[in-house]
Amino acid sequence: MPKTAVTRVTHSCHLIEIGGRTFLTDPWFSTRPGYYQGEPIALGIPDLPRLDGVLISHEHYDHCDLDAFAAYRDRSVPLFVAETVVETARRHGFTNVTALRPWEEAEVGGVTITATPAKHGVYEVTFVLRAGSDAVYFAGDTMLIPELAEIPKRLGHISLALLPTNGLHIRPANNMQVVMNADEAAELTAILRPELAVPHHYAFTKGFLGDRLITRSDKNPLRFQDASRDLAPDTSVRIVEPGTRVEL
Amino acid sequence: MGTTTQHTIALDGIGPVQVSVTDHGSGQPFLLLHGGAGLQSVTGFAEKFAAAHDVRVLTPTHPGFGGTDRPEALTTVSDLAALYGALLDQLDLADVTVIGNSMGGWITAEIALLKSPRVSGIVLIDAVGIEVPGHPVADFFSLTMDQVFELTFHDPAPFRFDPTTLPPAAQAVAAGNRAALAVYAGTAMSDPTLAARLGTLEIPTLVLWGESDRIADTDYGRAYAAAIPMARFQVLPDTGHSPQLETPDQVSHAIWDSADTDFAPFSR
Repeated sequence: MPKTAVTRVTHSCHLIEIGGRTFLTDPWFSTRPGYYQGEPIALGIPDLPRLDGVLISHEHYDHCDLDAFAAYRDRSVPLFVAETVVETARRHGFTNVTALRPWEEAEVGGVTITATPAKHGVYEVTFVLRAGSDAVYFAGDTMLIPELAEIPKRLGHISLALLPTNGLHIRPANNMQVVMNADEAAELTAILRPELAVPHHYAFTKGFLGDRLITRSDKNPLRFQDASRDLAPDTSVRIVEPGTRVEL
Repeated sequence: MGTTTQHTIALDGIGPVQVSVTDHGSGQPFLLLHGGAGLQSVTGFAEKFAAAHDVRVLTPTHPGFGGTDRPEALTTVSDLAALYGALLDQLDLADVTVIGNSMGGWITAEIALLKSPRVSGIVLIDAVGIEVPGHPVADFFSLTMDQVFELTFHDPAPFRFDPTTLPPAAQAVAAGNRAALAVYAGTAMSDPTLAARLGTLEIPTLVLWGESDRIADTDYGRAYAAAIPMARFQVLPDTGHSPQLETPDQVSHAIWDSADTDFAPFSR
């Protein structure tokens, strides 16, 4: 059985290897004024391996950079997306686009892809990839919501969880929180009980002024590691630099 | 004291342009653009801001100001925006906050419209450039210097001087500044297309306005902020058209501590 592994590309963009297949999550390969990874982009689009599927949680630019990703060598690659992404994906020339609502599933080469619930500033779904006894949960940049407790009940054991931790708040929207924070991610880790949890979506910055005027976020992933030590002591938390491949 | 360097920037359709840039401090980069009053109207603030916050502040002299040469083909605010966009490329700077006062604010707005990822935020300080019905920018070129001081400052007394007492070289520089301002900004100091174009911006924007500004009044400032999606607007009390000269501590605080500002009282 091939190893299950994850390589962070940047932010919430990962390469996930499971069941001998390779998936890309939430592609982000460029920058715009006020949108910066805050960490390297480990792989350029020409350097991506052959992908068996791409998962896109929602349409925000830092998760759905199709202007850049349209340069990928094969636009017939299967895309599994929130339904709000379908139109823009097709407009960018992707020909094999499937919308998945929460708890709907699809199958690619022996890997089952199940959309799971989410809550964010816009409509979003998260995803579970399963092959045999291994399952990877990709949490995009959701808030912690009660529906996520359904995941292990409905889909069984999660082996690896990729979780946002920056607790992003939008200052002009009455300081509304739109992403789970480190404590909430640790709480979710305790619910999912994976062997391995990897934080993502923490280095993001809107730049000097944007971090002051528009967003407020926790850029320190160690807080998630600390909180998980208390709440989910059986899970190993690894803070992974972009470009590092981590095997389950 | 900053270090001044001459840069040569190749601009499409214009050719090589020489621009003098003074560099203050090091660290997080800021590009600070002067208005019609010339480089000296921002130098003191640049030094103070760089020292107080351990950051780097770059202050270019717009070609034609301060006795520098202006290539004949360099005639518009958009040209200056292209020049500074290319300068940031040449210096390979990232996460740059561009700050501009008066015409410098207009250039800043045009730089934002270039949508370079190098520029992460803009601060417009009593900027000109848009047309606001019922709130025209004062016609600088029809004013006496005494009237300019009256309209520019909350309290003109500390800033007033008699230009006829300047040495001939300084008078020549002042005349050159005036001529360059007329070329770039025109007498109306506005571009009727600018406000609508600003509606396409997604860049973090802070608009600061001197409450006593009578070159461009606070309603003009509110309209400027309203033209830019998500822009935050803040009025500076006891301050006129050149806040970085008159109340530099207020400007420094408004930018550096903007995360702690309750913008609600200033909402439009």
